[in-house]
Amino acid sequence: MTPLQRAWGAYVRLTARWPAIASIIPFVPLIVLWWAVVELGVFPRVFLPGPADVARSFADLVYKGILPEYLQDSVVRLGVGAFWGIALGIPLGILIGISQRAHTVLWPLLLFFQAIGDIAWLPILVIWFGYGLVTMTFVIVYTVIFPVVLNTVLGVRSIPIAMHRAALSLGASRARILWEVVLPGALPNIVTGLRNGLGYGWRALIAAEIIVGTSGIGFLMFDARRAGSVVEILLGMIILGILWYIVDSWILAPIERATGQRWGLVTR
Amino acid sequence: MKSLTIRNLSKTYFDPYAGKHVTAVHDVSLQVDEGEFVSIVGPSGCGKTTILNMIAGFIPVTGGEILVGGRPVKGPGPDRGVVFQSFALFPWRTVLDNVAFGPKMRGIARAERERIAYEYLALAKLTEAAGRYPNELSGSMQQRVGVVRALANEPDVLLMDEPFASVDAQTRMTLQEELTRIWQEKRPTVIFITHDVGEAVFLANRVVVLSKGRLLEEIGVDLPRPRSWDVLNENDAFKAHTGRVLQLVRSA
Repeated sequence: MTPLQRAWGAYVRLTARWPAIASIIPFVPLIVLWWAVVELGVFPRVFLPGPADVARSFADLVYKGILPEYLQDSVVRLGVGAFWGIALGIPLGILIGISQRAHTVLWPLLLFFQAIGDIAWLPILVIWFGYGLVTMTFVIVYTVIFPVVLNTVLGVRSIPIAMHRAALSLGASRARILWEVVLPGALPNIVTGLRNGLGYGWRALIAAEIIVGTSGIGFLMFDARRAGSVVEILLGMIILGILWYIVDSWILAPIERATGQRWGLVTR
Repeated sequence: MKSLTIRNLSKTYFDPYAGKHVTAVHDVSLQVDEGEFVSIVGPSGCGKTTILNMIAGFIPVTGGEILVGGRPVKGPGPDRGVVFQSFALFPWRTVLDNVAFGPKMRGIARAERERIAYEYLALAKLTEAAGRYPNELSGSMQQRVGVVRALANEPDVLLMDEPFASVDAQTRMTLQEELTRIWQEKRPTVIFITHDVGEAVFLANRVVVLSKGRLLEEIGVDLPRPRSWDVLNENDAFKAHTGRVLQLVRSA
């Protein structure tokens, strides 16, 4: 065994004991590199501040109460948008998945509106609803709903016909099959749709905040650009990454472990 | 348990690739008595699975009729339990919940349906696996679950579509012996589809040979029960029956 293999083995054992370490250590070389580039003075400091500057800016904005407020605004917007996107998307996807008629009527519409990207709606939304929560919620719902619908349809359609037949010949009514077979059978795909949808939704939110926002992480970054504060732009970018990491590992990954992976429908 | 009557059953369907109508089943009549075990055997494409799918109500008949206990079949229903070649267990339900599924659909309360499920799981020596998910079990164990799931719903007729085709040869013999034991205990009316001649004779009271959608011949099998491969492998009557059926299938 080479020293490298031994070190890797030790790392695997360490992360098995403290899983949180596994999510931090990969960033260490990146931060060290960043720090080194800044210290070597490759770029002027105003263009590329160091990790310590960003950390100081973080503490400062938290102390002033700006960051917690903006963070809350962004997360609430994403939450409201995601809720409606899911609440509308899953039933719509199931309808299109089980009904050939619904598929015939709705599929062309779906493809048409999918092509008009979320941001392309902003000009008209601002005229209709102004610069507020309605506009941003619309954009996020719009972004979340397509991946959720398309993946739900895929999930419903990929349930083997034998599964429907088994349920029918065990006495299940069509309505019971919806709950007992269609929904759980499509769930792994629905979760994939959610993952994509929330990912796109998160990006759409930041874009919307940059364009029409008066608060939020996207607005923080745009406002910082106006003030020429690269340090706050970098802080905003880092927060975006960390927030998504949290959403993924605290919400999406546990759902996947408890459903598709547990049932053997998705490989780990 | 009830009897099954098939009268002048036919099935034609349109084959879009060939561009013409194809007759899969042609004028098949069959009477299966209450508590009888009938194997339907024939080469691939002889229409045996099509017949089973029509009995189960999964596909409509083109001509003729199917009666279970004197009542005509209209669509799938819990009076005809089905065991699938692909097992078709619900991956999102534990073994216990899979077996309790039929009783649950009948509106039986949780405690009672779990009691029923445990009773049937014990029948197939699956009690230990009750809390596990299907994907955690071997193929043969999954199909044991498939069999008791269908039985636990107490169907009038049990339809089995090449249930042991995807199990290795040794395990298949064990499953066949188990099935004859369970059949003797519960005496369900069974239609068993297979292309394995030895399996067909080993299990059944009667073997029906099918060829190109037509019923070729019926052969009564009056071998002693309980049946085991150790005994029947040496049995001349068993050899004579399998020889005869094999001859028919190969000439088909």
